[in-house]
Amino acid sequence: MIKLGNHAIPPWTWSFLSAVIVLVLTYMVSGRGGMQTITLAFTVAPYLVLVGLGQMLVMSAGPGNIDVSVAKVFSLGGLVAIAVGDVTGSWVLGLGAAVGAGLAMASISIIAILYVRIPPIVATLATSLIASAISLTLAKGFQGSADPLLKGFLSWAPFGIPAFAIVVLIFTILVSMTLKWTTWGSQMLAFGQARRAAEYAGVSAKKTMVIVYLTCGVLAALAGALRASFSAPNVELGNDYLLDSIAVVVIGGTLMTGGRAVPAGVWGGALFFILLDGLLNLIGWSFAGQNVLKGFLVLAVLFLAGGAPILRRRVPSSVTDAANGEENAEPEIKTLT
Amino acid sequence: MSTAILEKFRFNLPRGLARRVLPGFLTLIAMVMILLICGAMQPRIWSQNGLTLIMSPIVALAIASMAQMVMMSIGDIDLGIGFFVGMITTIVATLLRETPILGVLALAGSVLAYALLGALVQLRSVPSLIATLGASFVWLGMGLFVLPVPGGSAPDWLFAYAFWQPPLSIPAPLVTMVVATALTWFVTRRTALGVRFRSLGSNPVALMRSGGSLVVTRMLAYGTVGLLGVLAGITLTAEIGGGDVNAVPGYTLTTVAAVILGGGMFTGGRAVAWGTLAGAVTLGLLTVLLTLLSLSSNLQPAVQGFIVIGVLAGRLVVERMTR
Repeated sequence: MIKLGNHAIPPWTWSFLSAVIVLVLTYMVSGRGGMQTITLAFTVAPYLVLVGLGQMLVMSAGPGNIDVSVAKVFSLGGLVAIAVGDVTGSWVLGLGAAVGAGLAMASISIIAILYVRIPPIVATLATSLIASAISLTLAKGFQGSADPLLKGFLSWAPFGIPAFAIVVLIFTILVSMTLKWTTWGSQMLAFGQARRAAEYAGVSAKKTMVIVYLTCGVLAALAGALRASFSAPNVELGNDYLLDSIAVVVIGGTLMTGGRAVPAGVWGGALFFILLDGLLNLIGWSFAGQNVLKGFLVLAVLFLAGGAPILRRRVPSSVTDAANGEENAEPEIKTLT
Repeated sequence: MSTAILEKFRFNLPRGLARRVLPGFLTLIAMVMILLICGAMQPRIWSQNGLTLIMSPIVALAIASMAQMVMMSIGDIDLGIGFFVGMITTIVATLLRETPILGVLALAGSVLAYALLGALVQLRSVPSLIATLGASFVWLGMGLFVLPVPGGSAPDWLFAYAFWQPPLSIPAPLVTMVVATALTWFVTRRTALGVRFRSLGSNPVALMRSGGSLVVTRMLAYGTVGLLGVLAGITLTAEIGGGDVNAVPGYTLTTVAAVILGGGMFTGGRAVAWGTLAGAVTLGLLTVLLTLLSLSSNLQPAVQGFIVIGVLAGRLVVERMTR
């Protein structure tokens, strides 16, 4: 068993390595270097990073925790922000309304999870159905456009580095420091690693879950609001963000079983995905080919970066390793009554 | 269907049975209630044609839910089943119609691809959630390769099936669903293979100690999921009459909800074929009910969401009371 990425190499290495490889390939194909590709990637990536950071927090809170409502909440945030911004004439109020919508949607999820004891994937699925119904109703005869000031800021890139990317980068560092140096951060990760042990040690399950799910909802809605201000609001604006956010988080090195959050890896994964899209467009691949290659690349990254003790409940890693060893020796045993 | 559930009550050990069967049974009650309300509002559904009409869109969902149920019985989740079923419809509507041999090979290849995915999950300790997510991009891309825009046409024998009217005025979709569920039930609960699937989900160490191979078992389970996915795709082609990779992306999450409604668990080890059927039919009938209520189609998803939460809340209350 190869033990890649356990201690010596930080877990986010692989995502950045993949991103750099794709960047070099892009340069080779286009035949010229330059900042343009990087600027473009850093203009689009922050939205995915914001959604990804929320998803990362949720996933880190232990096995089974996932938010599948991010896509619909993203679209809803965009529509609400533009609508409110248009009516009140203030983009600040628009963003505030989006944050409120995100909070409301995440509250439905968290109430269903904590009090109705619905598994998170089903609870957030129900939330996403509710959010999409609201979006569809809002979008009927929708008019309004983003505030030019906000739009200008989002596409403002002094010296080829988008200012918005810097803001999200600072936010990522803040999240990273919160997880590393605050009591709440340690408690959340401990909760993700061993729920019962953490609860015996005095970590409040309710508080932890409420904070991660509400943060995820707010970040998804806020990212949607900003994305809609950058281009245009749309019911289907967020659709790609569900699968992409989960993929980006895991490629970045965050454990799906919880307990290890890697904020830096979210950036690596997001840049990898966005540069890859750019590269495939450059080569002129069809949408079909892009998807096939994207899928195989995700699987290949998993194949290379896998091997960490993931999703094997109640099985210590040594036992799993022994199991694999035994299987390699005798793969043909089939009898079991 | 109700007789089969009664049989389960009679022949199984009582301990733990309530926990396994009760959720599915409650969902069954919800299903019957929805059906009765629909019937009260539109009496014409109480005929072979009426029942066929409201049930035929549910067949593919029910079989896809069986696939998800097998996946969840080994403790994994499939987030790619929606696009997989879509891809199968494109293959059936083009390759299988024009060059049947090539079509069958393509379908067999899809099942094999699923088995290989299972090997990847087991050998590299990759979470199933993200592996199937990655695979879903592949299914989408492949489906678009085969059929860039919705189109094609179902093979003639499939059209014959779509217009089939069984004797005794039994609706044809019901026959298909019950047969598929019975087969899944038999494999997962009455064969050695099914025991291995469930032990992989509940206690992989025990499976290993008893001489079973984790890799082979997981590959077989994923192969079964692929096979059921292919069946779902074929029935969906019969329903929509052509191929479209984007026909049912919503299945991915709806099937998970169906399994949970039927009494399945995320932790694996539980195979509830009949409960899953009840869950899938309930979710399918909800759409019919909301259409009969002439609710704005924009609001339908929200009502569905609230009803899923409501059913699960009701289950919690009943479980508390019976404990």
